[in-house]
Amino acid sequence: MAHAAPLAPAPVPLCTLALVGHPNVGKSVLFHRLTGTYVTVSNYPGTTVEVARAAPRFDREASLLDTPGVLALPSRSDDERATVRALLEEDMRLIIQVGDAKNLRRTLNLSALLAELGVPMVMALNMCDEAKARGVSVDGTRLAEALGVPVVETVATGGEGVGALTDALARAALPAPLLQYDPVLERAIARVATAIATHCPHPRLAARGLAILLIGRDPEVEAWLARQAGGDAVREALVELTAAVGRDSVPARLARERSGAAEALARTVSHQAELHDRTLSQFAARLAVHPLWGWPMLLGVLYLVYLFVGDFGAGVLVGLLEEDLFGAVLNPAVSGFVNTHVSPPWLADLLVGEYGLWTMGMTYALALILPIVTTFFIAFGVLEDSGYFARLSVIANRLFAAIGLNGRAVLPMVLGLGCVTMATLTTRILHTPRERLITTFLMALAIPCSAQLGVVLGMLGGISFAATLIWVVSMVGVLLATGWLASKVVPGRRVPLVTELPPMRRPVLGNVLKKTGGRLKWYLIEVIPIFLVGTLLMFVMDRTGVLPWIIEAGKPLVSGWLGLPPEASAAFVMGFLRRDFGASGLFALQDQLDMIQAVVGMVTLTLFIPCIASLMMIVKEQGLRTAAAMVALIVPTAFLVGGLLNHLLRLFA
Amino acid sequence: MNAAPHPHERIRLTGTPVGRMVHIAEFGDEIDPLQREQLHAYGLSAPHPVKVLQQQPMTVILCDHVELALEHEVARHIWVVAG
Repeated sequence: MAHAAPLAPAPVPLCTLALVGHPNVGKSVLFHRLTGTYVTVSNYPGTTVEVARAAPRFDREASLLDTPGVLALPSRSDDERATVRALLEEDMRLIIQVGDAKNLRRTLNLSALLAELGVPMVMALNMCDEAKARGVSVDGTRLAEALGVPVVETVATGGEGVGALTDALARAALPAPLLQYDPVLERAIARVATAIATHCPHPRLAARGLAILLIGRDPEVEAWLARQAGGDAVREALVELTAAVGRDSVPARLARERSGAAEALARTVSHQAELHDRTLSQFAARLAVHPLWGWPMLLGVLYLVYLFVGDFGAGVLVGLLEEDLFGAVLNPAVSGFVNTHVSPPWLADLLVGEYGLWTMGMTYALALILPIVTTFFIAFGVLEDSGYFARLSVIANRLFAAIGLNGRAVLPMVLGLGCVTMATLTTRILHTPRERLITTFLMALAIPCSAQLGVVLGMLGGISFAATLIWVVSMVGVLLATGWLASKVVPGRRVPLVTELPPMRRPVLGNVLKKTGGRLKWYLIEVIPIFLVGTLLMFVMDRTGVLPWIIEAGKPLVSGWLGLPPEASAAFVMGFLRRDFGASGLFALQDQLDMIQAVVGMVTLTLFIPCIASLMMIVKEQGLRTAAAMVALIVPTAFLVGGLLNHLLRLFA
Repeated sequence: MNAAPHPHERIRLTGTPVGRMVHIAEFGDEIDPLQREQLHAYGLSAPHPVKVLQQQPMTVILCDHVELALEHEVARHIWVVAG
């Protein structure tokens, strides 16, 4: 249901529109509804860390932005900075604030700042179904009157209110300010705003809004100011600002006053009914963070994932595909055809030989890895949508404190189990460069991606539970030990955790399948070419004698120190391209390995250099020098740990 | 058994019994300014009511239908008054 603003101005010409709002309020779902473009959506804050862009269905000439969630403005984290950067740099004609109907006060807290930016606005009051279930009702008409902009109630997941929202865009209006700050702050804002308007006016954003962000020490607005010719005059006006008055800093005072105004308005336009029902999802939510029951629940979840991915995916499905389909039907047929019809023997060997593009590259990618990552992505999507991951941060917080991080780092690390490359991007939700650096390093070192994890579970699970357990304990041990060391070496202090716990919800099958499909598509596009190129390289190295030379040269390290057969050197060469490619190589050697060799090989390969895509992402996020330093630390660490484990296990064997 | 605090007595959020409704009174100086902004952004401002859901392993409170988890290092410097 839409509530029109009292004064409907002339229709706003659309150019760039942006969805702006708190994390986890449904911006990406709404983006999908409005554009038809799917971006990953999940039930935890921080899913979107970069701005997504697409043409909306209602105007293919315009551009709609899906911005990362902002807890508050001025921006503090990298994802919040991305949103402010979009507001500053885009030709922003309209802001659609996406708000959480069950938490109107917080929504209005952000409105209080957005209202000062001088950009026409519409509010999509989302998650009205959840608000209703909790006894919260909002008087949309009164809210629209107070804000001076159309307010539309939506349930983006079900598509409710999306049509009304589209209609309301034509009535977008400049919002009415929600508050006047205290006189001291108002004088400061006016002084800075005048300096901006005089010396470096922004083409779209109001000087007053920029002044509030500058006084609040927004790093993106400061960077924008530094690029302006007249920025010095504004900086002088800022210097004149008095320091903190009383206990709060100036940014905290601004935040407190906005909060007060938001509370007053929320109290006027919303109503809370008494409700005592406790739903099953609320019960599960409490259980997930319970100091005692949270741990059995975690173990239960891990065991179910192991059954689904390790047992069903890596066991049943891989058996069906690798042995029954590829081994018994496809590979003999393809080999027979190639050997009969392809005349130069080397070409036939390239296609179906030991390092053949079909027999190795495609078979590894499609028969070995694909069923494993498919089951993993399904399990992962279910857990993502349920909201369980965010709750892990509570029970893991103490553990993460030991490595200088807080429980927020759980999210990128758990996402790293899906794909370390994307998870490296997600470290932007962490609040300090120190946290981002340590988390990125630990993920590059000790977090296996889904494909590798599946191969590990499939191979070690097939040997014994003890083998899997030794691998798990080794990885956790390395993670904690290197994390502890990193926390001592990397300067800066640990930030205590304050985080929102999104409600637990029943996963939506369509969303899980859509995400799984998207991830599989991305996986196939990325993995198949790399596997084929890797196989080609292996073939060339084998033919030119380089591979036998590497195997011979690597003997002291691979056979002497790690205790593996010399042929395992080939797996490490493959591991330079992708760790899961290397793990697949080791998987293919499993008949030649005893339990200790299998564990040592998998531990070393898991710790081995991150894949090329991850490495590129680390360079992008942390810079070339940091990425090079990480690689220089990771490779020796992998062999050191693998060798120590080999000798330790043989001591007790 | 602990006696219920006097209605206007300030206690630490970490010292509030589970299940009790309290009002935010003040943030201690020990809380980092950036984290103070974060708390305001989450809606924790005096005199807003919050309900304490659990205290271990972190303090979890309900604020306007949103659950917030606060590490003890922060929660112990949040002063509240009994609702």
